[in-house]
Amino acid sequence: MNLTISHLSKRYGTFVAVNDLSVEIPSGTIFGLLGPNGAGKTTTFKCMLGLAASSGGSVTYDGKPLAPALFERMVYLPERDVLYDWMRVSEVVEMNERAFTRFKRGRAYELLAMFGIDRNKRVRSLSKGMKTAVAVANAFAHEADLLVLDEPTSGLDPVNQRHVLNLMVNEAARGATVLFSSHQIGQVERAAERIAVLDRGRLALEGAIDDLKADRKIVEAIFPSEQFSLNGLANDKRVGRIDRSGRIVRVTALDGAPEIAAQLEAAGGTGVRIIDLNLEDIFLYAVAPASAHAGVVEGS
Amino acid sequence: MPAVLTVDPRSGVPIYQQIVEQIKRSAALGVLQNGEQLPTVKQLALDLTVNPNTVARAYRDLERDGVIETAPGRGSFVKGDGAATATKAAASDVTRRAVETSVREAKAMGLTREDVRRLIDAVLDRWFPEER
Repeated sequence: MNLTISHLSKRYGTFVAVNDLSVEIPSGTIFGLLGPNGAGKTTTFKCMLGLAASSGGSVTYDGKPLAPALFERMVYLPERDVLYDWMRVSEVVEMNERAFTRFKRGRAYELLAMFGIDRNKRVRSLSKGMKTAVAVANAFAHEADLLVLDEPTSGLDPVNQRHVLNLMVNEAARGATVLFSSHQIGQVERAAERIAVLDRGRLALEGAIDDLKADRKIVEAIFPSEQFSLNGLANDKRVGRIDRSGRIVRVTALDGAPEIAAQLEAAGGTGVRIIDLNLEDIFLYAVAPASAHAGVVEGS
Repeated sequence: MPAVLTVDPRSGVPIYQQIVEQIKRSAALGVLQNGEQLPTVKQLALDLTVNPNTVARAYRDLERDGVIETAPGRGSFVKGDGAATATKAAASDVTRRAVETSVREAKAMGLTREDVRRLIDAVLDRWFPEER
């Protein structure tokens, strides 16, 4: 299912939780939503699913607005589990089976076994991580066309975290669209194809992870003395920021790293190196205060 | 296919590129033989826990470079004809990158062109003694 978020906004009084957010999530994509706490990730999910009224903008599914018929085709895993404490795990499965025509009981049992959950246990007797696993097992038994997963691995041990990532890969392989949020950048980096970074409600960065990594580099050079000119590099659109520390300069390149390296060499820099960035570096740059991006940052 | 592929998602090298280079390397080393079938996109995605579109992108690049071919409905195979050329090209690719990195580092640390040439000659002498 193709998902289009267009100029979405959500205000609570004077607080702007989501600010003019536009993102396109193509069918069959695993899409990671990243952002610091309070960036607006959960609010975005709630607005998408009609659980909160948006203040502006629109969300469409295959070009159409949200309608009751769509609820059969999508599944939402909230950040905090919403299981009834008094139910047995098997009753949670039964409830889902009764409520959703596409839900597969056998698949749910299979996944519960994979997570090592005894389905005769009552929800209240489960640990936080096991409750997450119950919610996850049920979510992935829907055969949904769109999965919206808010922190689907929180509280899980590394083995079960990997199970969840593999389930996401499996869903995408059969053509479903998976949208998930996570604080664990390593997981997003592994499983997601595209990401969006939210920062204080605004879209700070969006793109395919592999493309972002191919484009964004740090170019480092050493100059013979502390007095050197960078030939107008500070005004170059491909330059995200410049850090100077004595004779060393590090240029964050958004694109065109080899050309920037050549320019630094032409300006008299030696020992020019192009350094790869991982997703964490790219994320931290995207959510850095705007002042840190402005022109040349003088180090000590 | 033997489970020879691993990816490091934390690396700054895009995952599809890691897959492309490892399959080229496996083909060049003969770990993957001519005509050998590759795992399906879905299977490799699950094996590596990376998203299927990334694997599909790697397979497209490998096909473009003549290393593999895909028969609709049958799967992807290491290319039979012209595989020798493809694997040699792959070996050159991998080697060029390694040499490039080493030479750049050497220059960055202040070695001269002549210093680097001597080092490379010494390595060549060691590995190709018969052609001295």
